[in-house]
Amino acid sequence: MRQRIPILLTLLFCWGSLVMAGSIFPYTYTIETLPNGLKVIMIPMESPGLVSYYSVVRTGSRDEVEPGKTGFAHFFEHMMFRGTKKYPGPVRDSIVTSIGASGNAYTSDDITAYYYNFAAEDLERVIELEGDRFQNLHYEEGVFQTEAGAVYGEYRKNITSPFAVLNEKMKELAYDVHTYKHTTIGFEADIKAMPQQFEYSKSFFSRFYRPENVVLVIAGDIDVKKTLGMVKRYYSGWQKGYVAPKVAPEPPQKGERTLDVSYPGRTLPILVVAYKWEAFDAKNRLLAATMLLGELAFGENSDLNKKLFLKEQKVQFLSPSFPTNRDQGLFQIYSMVKKVEDIPYVRDEVYRTLEEFKTEPVDAQKLSDLKRRNKYNFLMGLDTPSRVTGSLARVVAVTGGVEAIDELYASFDAVTAQDIQNAAQQYFVPERRSVIVLKGAQ
Amino acid sequence: MKTKKILTLACALALLIPGMTVGEPNVSNDNLVLLPVPKDPTISFRIWFKVGSQNDPKGKEGLAELVASMLTEAATTKNSYEQILEKLYPLAAGYSNTMEAEMTVISGRTHKDNLREYYPLLIDAILAPAFKQEDLDRLKSQAMNYLENTLRYSSDEELGKAVLYNDVFAGTPYGHITTGTIEAVKSITLDDVKEFYKKHYTRDNLVIGLGGGYEPALVEQLKLDLNKLPAGMVAEVPRPQPKPADGFHVTIVEKDAPATAFSMGYPMNILRGTKDWYALAVANSWLGEHRNSSSHLYQVIREERGLNYGDYSYIEHYPGGGQRQLPPQNVGRRVQLFEIWIRPVPNETRHFSLRAALREYKMLVENGMSQGDFDLTRNFLKKYVLNYAQTTMERLGYALDDKYYGIKGSHLEMFREMMDKLTVKEVNEAIKRYWQYGAMNIAVITKDAESFRKALVEDALSPMTYATPKSDHVMKEDVEIVKFPVKVKSENIRIIPVTDLLVK
Repeated sequence: MRQRIPILLTLLFCWGSLVMAGSIFPYTYTIETLPNGLKVIMIPMESPGLVSYYSVVRTGSRDEVEPGKTGFAHFFEHMMFRGTKKYPGPVRDSIVTSIGASGNAYTSDDITAYYYNFAAEDLERVIELEGDRFQNLHYEEGVFQTEAGAVYGEYRKNITSPFAVLNEKMKELAYDVHTYKHTTIGFEADIKAMPQQFEYSKSFFSRFYRPENVVLVIAGDIDVKKTLGMVKRYYSGWQKGYVAPKVAPEPPQKGERTLDVSYPGRTLPILVVAYKWEAFDAKNRLLAATMLLGELAFGENSDLNKKLFLKEQKVQFLSPSFPTNRDQGLFQIYSMVKKVEDIPYVRDEVYRTLEEFKTEPVDAQKLSDLKRRNKYNFLMGLDTPSRVTGSLARVVAVTGGVEAIDELYASFDAVTAQDIQNAAQQYFVPERRSVIVLKGAQ
Repeated sequence: MKTKKILTLACALALLIPGMTVGEPNVSNDNLVLLPVPKDPTISFRIWFKVGSQNDPKGKEGLAELVASMLTEAATTKNSYEQILEKLYPLAAGYSNTMEAEMTVISGRTHKDNLREYYPLLIDAILAPAFKQEDLDRLKSQAMNYLENTLRYSSDEELGKAVLYNDVFAGTPYGHITTGTIEAVKSITLDDVKEFYKKHYTRDNLVIGLGGGYEPALVEQLKLDLNKLPAGMVAEVPRPQPKPADGFHVTIVEKDAPATAFSMGYPMNILRGTKDWYALAVANSWLGEHRNSSSHLYQVIREERGLNYGDYSYIEHYPGGGQRQLPPQNVGRRVQLFEIWIRPVPNETRHFSLRAALREYKMLVENGMSQGDFDLTRNFLKKYVLNYAQTTMERLGYALDDKYYGIKGSHLEMFREMMDKLTVKEVNEAIKRYWQYGAMNIAVITKDAESFRKALVEDALSPMTYATPKSDHVMKEDVEIVKFPVKVKSENIRIIPVTDLLVK
């Protein structure tokens, strides 16, 4: 029954599980930066003739600073499949089809990522296609408007989930001015208005799709020298010109926020407790300590999960979420509660647990078990080129490179029981808190 | 008790000493699928029991899935579930089950370093489940929540598929989704669980799948341990014989849906491993390759008209499609399903969208593929299938499936070979042999069901307007689509409120 964990949550946890993974990267990698600022990370690894190719754009819904433009980073991701003058959409599609590449793209708050997994012999073809579309994207207004319909379709397919509703409401509640206030898919009204934004879309491409804002991550059956040569051939003409968005910093929160949300379908009630956290900094030991605390306090093996989920069976699940972000993100605890009347109890148990972490040092055995788990997660998780590139994409988007992985693991190693207490005292205070209770129709 | 201790000691020794033989197990080599990958630092297990939701007793639909979960998400006689989680935790390892109509596979993966700690936990889960009431209560509550809330309300796409599967195979052992029905799950007791386990989890009813960097002794160990299960042949469930549809049969699920989801299809008597199956795989890939813009349905409905997020088709059962990019393993079936999945479209375009999909399908059935489309698609598939099995665990899954389907050699290798051998003529002949137009089940999740029923019965025109301009090609094609006949007899349309679904 594991497949029933809501997709939204598993996505949020991806990074959680990556950063818990280990401190030594098992492959030798090479990083080169072209004169135009394009960074290329190449990771040769044993794989049966397969390559995974990621183009990481360090832009996501965070960069949607203008009013009425929410959801645009994601919409733009769709437009990137519409081709160029040299390779118009259908031609491009048939080339990708003929090489049998498995590819897709996704957008989140701090990242837009495009990927293909394919046979090593087709590497040059892919580099050529990708280099071409990142520099020469071309689409007509009619095509642009039609694609807006597909984006609206994506919104409609997602919005039946209570977790999509929760995500939207929590962002709106917790943030005042920062662009994390809106979801990546965007507000429905803005999605509806997308067909009118043709001119804006060109400026979006021109400001954000620039070499200084993009990192290529290429893993698998590759020769570094040849790969770099091909990247230079197809990307060197790309002109600089990145314009960083002026994202307003979020002012300190003053006091707790709460909201009741009603969901039109039926669902068991869902409780979310969120705390304003910290922009990601791999060298910040307090931040690393909070990540460990998240696992220890609310993870699968935590006392609270055993109590509420296994023994008392008051909840369908309890899960922490602590995605790393470029700016101040949210540390969240989710729980689906079986009975409405138990919501205050579950909420208070979450608070009580956090208070305990402020006052009592964590059990040394549990901390060492967690560190051992991290090591094996790491050793087992990066076994195919697509898993390697997929796992690195977010850290690349948030920090601009992969060095942060080693730095973060050094921080994990250094974390002491006292650090975890300090982190609890620093972040888990009512002034930083937002709480939502979502209830379904009866 | 003494015997047990000695055996345990022998087990421990076997794990330590490669090559050591520890007795003559009964689990035969015929029931062994090995995939050694010496360089792999991990070991992958897939223990396949020949049991699935087709074995659910009448009135106990959902029992097979609960029993599988009682093995992999509950206590053993040696450890509470809490203790199991605690022991697995530092290993970053676990085990879980995938179960479908015919197969239940208990799978897990560990790093070699941790085998000695991991193995007893995995083997106990299979040999020594505790079957505690508290675990059953928890797992039943999860299953009920899935049926009553999640499936009915939070994903209309998954709901549409569940309705389709239940309709196409109604009255057969495949006629209910694996989680079962609300009333049946409610009625399941510990005695039901114990009895089902005793009957189906026998040493004569399993296949051992082992892959990765294991030592040979581990194979012997597994055979020895699994041989501790009781003997017992399980009578084969008769092959499902779904009633062929006569014309379109539509189930409209009435709910306050923000958009309309469609799933449609019919049973199909062809399995992988035969030449015609690979021929159909080419036609199907062109029509609707899963999550791929090369899908023709995707091109017509999403790419050119922007009506939804995606449109795909299948020639094998494909559970969990919304959450996966590539096909699942170990969901083998003796009778397959042809399926078209139209992701939610705006309610006002539902009739048009249905027509657009069926029209494309009809043209393919009647006209076959062109040489150009055939060449493009077979070249695509020849390489694309390389992505299907990248990890040892996935390759082991395919190896078990080869055994299930009785394929000598490898399905994936045969797939690639066939892409060189097949001709467009053979593909088009296979289409004529196995696909037909005009008789299928259609599941619709929508609001104002009555007005849709009326439109279908009357075969009313479905005029289409777009908020934004479309190409001449699209506008010309639309003239055909808006009147494309999809006439459904009134008695073949069933409207059901969402609250009445999945009850019993």
